[in-house]
Amino acid sequence: MHSKKLGWLLLAPTLLILGLFGIFPFLYVVWVSFHEWNPFAANPAKIFNWAANYRKLVFDAQFLASLGVTMAFVFFAVVSEVIIGYLLAQAFMKDFPGRAFFRTIHTLPLIMAPIIVGSIWKLMTTPSIGIIPYMLKHTVGFDLNIGTSAVAAFAITVIMDIWHWTPLVTLTLIAALVSLPSEPFEQAQIDGANKRQIFWHLTLPMIRPALIATVFIRLMDAMRTVDEVLMLTGGGPGSATRYVGVHIFREVFPRTNYGYGSAVSVIVLYLTIVICWLLYVSLIAPRTRKGSS
Amino acid sequence: MGYFSKASALALAIGLLGVASPAWADFWSDAGAKYKGVVLHGVTESTPPSNFIKDVLAPEFEKKTGIKVEIETTSWDQMYDKAIKDMEAGTGIYDMVYIEQDIIYAYLARNFLTDITKSLKDMPDLKAPTYDDANFTSFANYFKNADGDLFGVPMEAFLKLYLYRKDLFDDPKIQAAFKEKTGHDLKPASTHAEYTEIADFFTQYGKDNGMELWGSTAQAHTGHPASWYEFFESVAPTFGVYNWGIDASKNYAASVANGGTMNGDKAKAAIKWWLHLRDIAPPESPQSTWTEVGTTFAAGRAAQGLVYGENGAWIQSDATKSKVTGKVGFALPPLEPGVLEEAEAGKGYIGYYDGGAFGLPITSKNKEAALLFLQFIGQNEVQPDWAVAAPRITNTATYDDPKVKEMDAKLGGYYTMLKDKGKLFAGAPPYPFHAQVREATAPIFYDILTGKIGPDEGLDAMAAKAEEELTTLGYRK
Amino acid sequence: MKLMRRHRSWLSVLFWIAISFVTLFPIYWLFVISVKPAVELFSTPELLLRNVYWQNYIDVLNNPTLRGYMLNSLIISSCNAVLVTTLGFLACYALTRFDLPGKESIFFWTITNRMAPPAVFLLPLFLLLTQVYRIGDFKLADSRIGMILVYCTFNLPFAIWTLRPTLDAIPRELDEAAYVDGASPWTVISDIVFPLARPGVAVTLILTWVFAWNEYLLAATLTNFNARTLTTGLSEYVTTTGTAWGIMAAISVFTLIPALIVFSLVQKHIVAGLTFGAVKG
Repeated sequence: MHSKKLGWLLLAPTLLILGLFGIFPFLYVVWVSFHEWNPFAANPAKIFNWAANYRKLVFDAQFLASLGVTMAFVFFAVVSEVIIGYLLAQAFMKDFPGRAFFRTIHTLPLIMAPIIVGSIWKLMTTPSIGIIPYMLKHTVGFDLNIGTSAVAAFAITVIMDIWHWTPLVTLTLIAALVSLPSEPFEQAQIDGANKRQIFWHLTLPMIRPALIATVFIRLMDAMRTVDEVLMLTGGGPGSATRYVGVHIFREVFPRTNYGYGSAVSVIVLYLTIVICWLLYVSLIAPRTRKGSS
Repeated sequence: MGYFSKASALALAIGLLGVASPAWADFWSDAGAKYKGVVLHGVTESTPPSNFIKDVLAPEFEKKTGIKVEIETTSWDQMYDKAIKDMEAGTGIYDMVYIEQDIIYAYLARNFLTDITKSLKDMPDLKAPTYDDANFTSFANYFKNADGDLFGVPMEAFLKLYLYRKDLFDDPKIQAAFKEKTGHDLKPASTHAEYTEIADFFTQYGKDNGMELWGSTAQAHTGHPASWYEFFESVAPTFGVYNWGIDASKNYAASVANGGTMNGDKAKAAIKWWLHLRDIAPPESPQSTWTEVGTTFAAGRAAQGLVYGENGAWIQSDATKSKVTGKVGFALPPLEPGVLEEAEAGKGYIGYYDGGAFGLPITSKNKEAALLFLQFIGQNEVQPDWAVAAPRITNTATYDDPKVKEMDAKLGGYYTMLKDKGKLFAGAPPYPFHAQVREATAPIFYDILTGKIGPDEGLDAMAAKAEEELTTLGYRK
Repeated sequence: MKLMRRHRSWLSVLFWIAISFVTLFPIYWLFVISVKPAVELFSTPELLLRNVYWQNYIDVLNNPTLRGYMLNSLIISSCNAVLVTTLGFLACYALTRFDLPGKESIFFWTITNRMAPPAVFLLPLFLLLTQVYRIGDFKLADSRIGMILVYCTFNLPFAIWTLRPTLDAIPRELDEAAYVDGASPWTVISDIVFPLARPGVAVTLILTWVFAWNEYLLAATLTNFNARTLTTGLSEYVTTTGTAWGIMAAISVFTLIPALIVFSLVQKHIVAGLTFGAVKG
């Protein structure tokens, strides 16, 4: 209907910026991933080694374990965030006194820098002197020690993530719910549909694109979590919370294992893309394509 | 912050300006004239000694020479990463980088740093009359190459000492209880067995009396290299396992089978001794890095422990951060029989002599001006106030300064200890692969701490992993 | 009927108060940490504050470096949020209104820029910003404009992905009617589509602002003296001689203030007067 030129013109700045700051670094990382490169090895130069890094990481127990705990972390955190976030967003659609005030309160965790979130939770959960272990011990007699219990440390990282990021889900879903047209809902009520029917047959399909976009964002952000966890547990106890973001950080920063770290990053990026692509193709694409044609 | 507060740092700065002698001031203004308008950039960690450079020495230097100095302070890991990226890529952002004692060998191996001794010889005009390599304590030896040339101007040096609570050790009631229970007199431990006995006693004593008191600290974080360091820097040497149990002369062997000692009997005894202490230490210990160990001791939760020197001083003197000011005794770490003799003979060491220096990256674009600044912070004249503001000593003459002696008395003899016993301690082993081997083996070490793997098998696995990493890196042939 | 509704709304206030306790507790604890001397942090915790220690706040207020960091953070995150929301909005308009070949692939590709694990991408970005993207002596590294552009890598995809559902939901018939009336594309975007998309735009602005405001790793590596942000300032207090929890907490409490101002400015656009009986339930 309009000239395609205008469409490309509107897209151009986005493509330019993402190209300059996205594609070039990515190509560099891919190139490095085909090299043996540690600047503090006996030979500090980059040595081309074909796909040796990739071959190595398929059998790298530490990497695979890290990937496993990451998946568990992402699953528990994102599923909880989406459910709680949706319920809160729905609750915010009602009119009640002080709504704006409560909405502000529920966005506060977002304003906290991850490094601060990690610090707060670390101080709250320090064994025996953090407020949470202290209260648990003196009320129900439960001994919470994130320094020794892998399960406790994992659970606390998940809870921390839920606390920090549920507001993001709530906010994006509020925006989606607010923009819904009202006629279909009024019509459904007139037709005598109950709440559950309205949710499954009206609300959910209509907010699906926004919901999926939010799930994506949370999923990929959770996959790359670094700062909070590094601050809270350092990846421990043992490797219980050494999520891939932390694993790559430790490989690349202190260990300066640039070649191998790049290969790990490329694979993690690839896995994230595949997961998201599958979700995208099965859930969003058919609808948008239909909608925009 | 006690006498480390900003207000007193400022007061010191003003005092310092008055003290500097006019004859030398001429050198600085003459030498600096050529570089007027140059801005030097440095990167360091945000610790009291570095902050003194930033807040006091840099402004004073600028006043004398017209050369501006900007110091970027950042966190520990970031500092390395930024310095390495800059020097590796040859960007030339930094004219000065903080070099912690453990990374110098990696930088030297890569020729990242400028030879300060040689540069001053080549450019005699730049040599300040008040500066001399020989002014530094033996700690400077850790920043020299094989020819004895200096690559970093020392700016801080500390000992990791055995701290104990004098008030508890001197309490007659506790002394009597200890005597009754063990049959020994309560005094700071000199052997591991004594240390364990005291630790067991105090943990039980705390429990019996409903006190928040335990017998020992333990820097035993299960996900942070601090625990790895406590074992290899501070515990293993006191059992006679040096240089992480890796023998450079035997093709960097770590395992006993190849001639190393990382999984030897001594190392295995050391880890079991330390794990027991961890079990009777305050419950936060599995989450404790150097930060928390210092804070735990300062909160009065431990009767004794191994604490880094940079923390020991504020624990003893800063009442806003410590509940045990004036109650801290400093002693040498407890040892196995024979270790002290080895250390005195120069064949071993009894603990960690840590600290750092300022180096001049080879990629710097303002080398001459930076050399001036490095000499400026290395002068004897600026040391005493610096030692008072931040508890560190790098120059031999500083020990005799009245201000420093007064502070030594307040600290309970910490500086005397540094002066007399410093030679028994050692910096990190001269490995260019410091962080690499640490990171490769640390996950196994954390598994030992969580009990996922037994201490003996754990050390075996670590020795194998260290050798594997060294082979990958190309050091072990 | 009216009475019942009032009754129910008070019930929901009670519900929200209860939920708010959970959300607010860590923030309350942050405040507690900020008003305690370091020596009290490592002793038996108490839920309520007995006395307040203001020294951390005094130290923060007297620190001119932190004020510089705060200004950098404000400029970088505000400019970045406005930039990515504008560009994202235009891009989404193109993606939803034009029949461009391969647009779905482009749409999906944009988001892959956000998926990259950050640690390893720091090195190429460092090289690009210090050595490649430079004009004479001006380098993008350690400059505010450089950080604004670099933050686009994770914020622009986010903006595109949150705005697209909003623009998709706005009926195309509205634009077409305006075009028939002779409006220019620019008028259609600014007068027809933009007002209807306001809730989505507001949320995008807020969230991209927040992401930029909180970013740490990129800022830590790519800035040195001129463009350092508050998050990098915070990390300075994590040192080998101890972590100054109290000061870090006091700084964070200060950072809540500008963030709250930005929120209150933008938030009112989220509920653009539309509420639906059906959704009320």
